[in-house]
Amino acid sequence: MKILAVEDDALTLALLVSGLGEAGHEVEQAGDGHTGLTLACGRAHDVAVIDRMLPGIDGLELVRRLRAAGVQTPVLFLTTMGGISDRVDGLEAGGDDYLVKPFAFAELLARIHALARRPPLGRVETVLHAAGIELDLVTRRVSRSGQTVDLQPREFSLLEFLMRNAGQIVTRRQLLESVWGFHFDPKTNIVETHMSRLRAKLNSNGEPDPIGTIRGAGYLLHALMA
Amino acid sequence: MYTAAFMVTVGVIGWVTVLVVSDTLERQAQRGLENEASALVDEFKAGGRQDLEAALAGRFANPLTHIRYVLIGVDGRALLGDETLLPYGRDPAGSVASRGAGPRTAARALSDGSRLVVADDLADVRHVEAVIRRAFLIALVIAGALGLGTGSLLSTALLRRLDAITRTAEAVVAGDLTQRITHTGSKDEFDRLAVTLNRMLDRIDGLMVNLRQVSTDIAHDLRTPLSRLRQNLETTNRRAATLDDYRVAVEQAVEETDRILDIFSALLRIAQIEATTLRKGFHPVNLSELFHTVADAYAAPASDGGRTLAADITADVWVQADQDLLTQLFVNLVENALLHTPQRSTVTLELSVRDRSVVAAVCDDGPGIPATEREKVLRRFYRLERSRYGPGNGLGLSLAAAVAELHGGQLTLSDAQPGLRASIAFTRELIL
Repeated sequence: MKILAVEDDALTLALLVSGLGEAGHEVEQAGDGHTGLTLACGRAHDVAVIDRMLPGIDGLELVRRLRAAGVQTPVLFLTTMGGISDRVDGLEAGGDDYLVKPFAFAELLARIHALARRPPLGRVETVLHAAGIELDLVTRRVSRSGQTVDLQPREFSLLEFLMRNAGQIVTRRQLLESVWGFHFDPKTNIVETHMSRLRAKLNSNGEPDPIGTIRGAGYLLHALMA
Repeated sequence: MYTAAFMVTVGVIGWVTVLVVSDTLERQAQRGLENEASALVDEFKAGGRQDLEAALAGRFANPLTHIRYVLIGVDGRALLGDETLLPYGRDPAGSVASRGAGPRTAARALSDGSRLVVADDLADVRHVEAVIRRAFLIALVIAGALGLGTGSLLSTALLRRLDAITRTAEAVVAGDLTQRITHTGSKDEFDRLAVTLNRMLDRIDGLMVNLRQVSTDIAHDLRTPLSRLRQNLETTNRRAATLDDYRVAVEQAVEETDRILDIFSALLRIAQIEATTLRKGFHPVNLSELFHTVADAYAAPASDGGRTLAADITADVWVQADQDLLTQLFVNLVENALLHTPQRSTVTLELSVRDRSVVAAVCDDGPGIPATEREKVLRRFYRLERSRYGPGNGLGLSLAAAVAELHGGQLTLSDAQPGLRASIAFTRELIL
C-alpha cells in the first residue's frame, strides 16, 4: 500500500517509515503540516497516518483542508490525547480512526489495513461470507456449512468484525472498540472470554477453528478454509 | 461618612416636619379667624352695631384670647379695638389673608360701611415651630455624636478582625499550613468569611498532604517494576546466548514497560480528571444502556471464574456525562468486585432513580472492606493487606473516585451486609 506519514518527532517518524516499509508498504513522509498537506494533495495514498500536533498547521486543520479539497484518503490520527472529546474532534475534522501514543506497532498495522479495506461508497453488503461461514446482517442469522449457529448479540458482533476484516489481523483494542465501545484496556480479558465462547459455538460440529490467535498482535479469521 | 449621611437625614426630616407642622397650624388658625369673623358678622346682622360691640367687649374681657379685633369706621379710624390693625382693613372686598411676617387676618365689610378685622399673630404657632426646631437641632447633634462614636468603635473592631485575617494569611504564606483564623461565633459577615477561609485552608492542606503522599506512593510503587525491568535486561546482557534468548527477554521487557506505562497513563488520567473542568466535553449518555453493556461484557468472565453477575437496571436513564470515563468507572468497580471476592460470589449492578436523583451501584457479597479502610482504598496505590500481592495496581478505585467526582457524584463505599456496595448518586443538574 501507499502510505503517507506526517509526524514532527524525527525518531517516531523514522520508526514509522522503517516499520511500515518492513511490512511491505511504500511510505512517503513529511515532518510538518504544510509539507504533509502538499504531499497528501499530490499523489493518491491508500492511507495517511497523521500526528495531531504538528508545526505549521496542526493535524486537524490539515485534514479539514484535505477534505475541503476533495481528497478522500482514509486518515488515522496519532496523538497523546485520548479523551472522548478529542476523538470526536478528530472524526469531525474528517479523520477515520485514532490511535493513542504509545501504541504497539501491530495495532497501527491492523488499523491501517482496516482503513484501507473500506468498501467503495454506495455498495452495502447484507450478507458476509468468509471461512465457510455465512452471516446475515439483516436476519442476524449465522450458519456454517449449512448448520445454523446460535450466537449471543456480542458474539455476533465479534464474528461480524472478524469477517469484515477476514484475512487480516484484528487487535484486541479494535475489537473492544467496535464490539463493546470500550476505548480503554480493561484488566479483564473480556475479548478472550467471548472469543472462546464464539469458537466453541462455531466449532461445535468438530470442524477446524477458523479463528487464529496471533501472539502479541490479535486475532485472525482465515478467509478461506482448506 | 455614614455619620454625615445620618445627620443629613435627620436634618431633612426636621426641616420637613417644621414646614408641615407650621403650615397645618397656620391653616388651622386661618380657619379659626374666618369662623370668628363670620360669627361676629352674624351678631351684627342679628342685632346691629350694639350687639356687635357687646360681643367685641366680651372678647376683650377674655384674658385667654390671643386674637385681636378692630372695628373700623367709615372715616377709616378705629371705633373699637386694636388700632395697629388699621392697615389690614384697607381692602374693602371681603377677607384678606395675609402671609409671611405679620399676623394672619380676616376682614369683613359690614352693611353700615364699617369694616371688621380679626387677627392672630400666631405667637403660639411660632412657639411650637421653635420648640420643634430646637428639638431637631438637639437630635442632630446627638446623631452626629452617636454616629462618630459608633463609627469609630466599629471601624476599630473591623480593622482588628481584618488584621487577624491578614496575619493568619501571612503565616500560611510563610509555610505554616496549620494556622486557622479564629472566629467569634457571632455569625456576621466576618465570621462567615473566617469560616470559609478556614475551609479553603483545610482544602489546601488536604491537597498538600495528598500531593506528598502521591509522590511518595509513585516513587515507591514504580520503583518495583522499574527495578525488575532493569534486572531482567541486565541478566539478559550477562547470560543470554541465543537469538531466542534475546527475543524472549525483549518481549518480557516490553510487557513490563507496558505495565509501567499503564500505571503512568492511569495516574495522568486521574490527575487530568481531578484538575480540569472536563464537563465541557459532556454529552447525553444512556446510562441504562451503558450498564447493560458492562453487565453483558462481564457476565461471561464472571461465570468463568465461578461467580454470578446480576443486574437490576432501570430503563431509559440518561445523564449528561463523558461516556468513556463513566464506562471505565463502572468497569473498574465490576472488575474490582470480581477480583476481590471468592468463588460463588454474586456481583450485582444496580441502576435506580430515587427522588429524582440517579443512583448507580455495584454490590458484591464477598468479604467487603472494613469501615476503617473504606476511605483509604480510594487513595492512589492503596491496597488492602490481603490484596497486596495480587493483580491490579491499586489505581482502579482512585480513578473511579475521580470520575465520580467530576460528574458531581461521590463514590461511596458502604457495607452491603455482607459485602461491599460501591455507589454513586448523580447530581440533579446532570440528569436528563
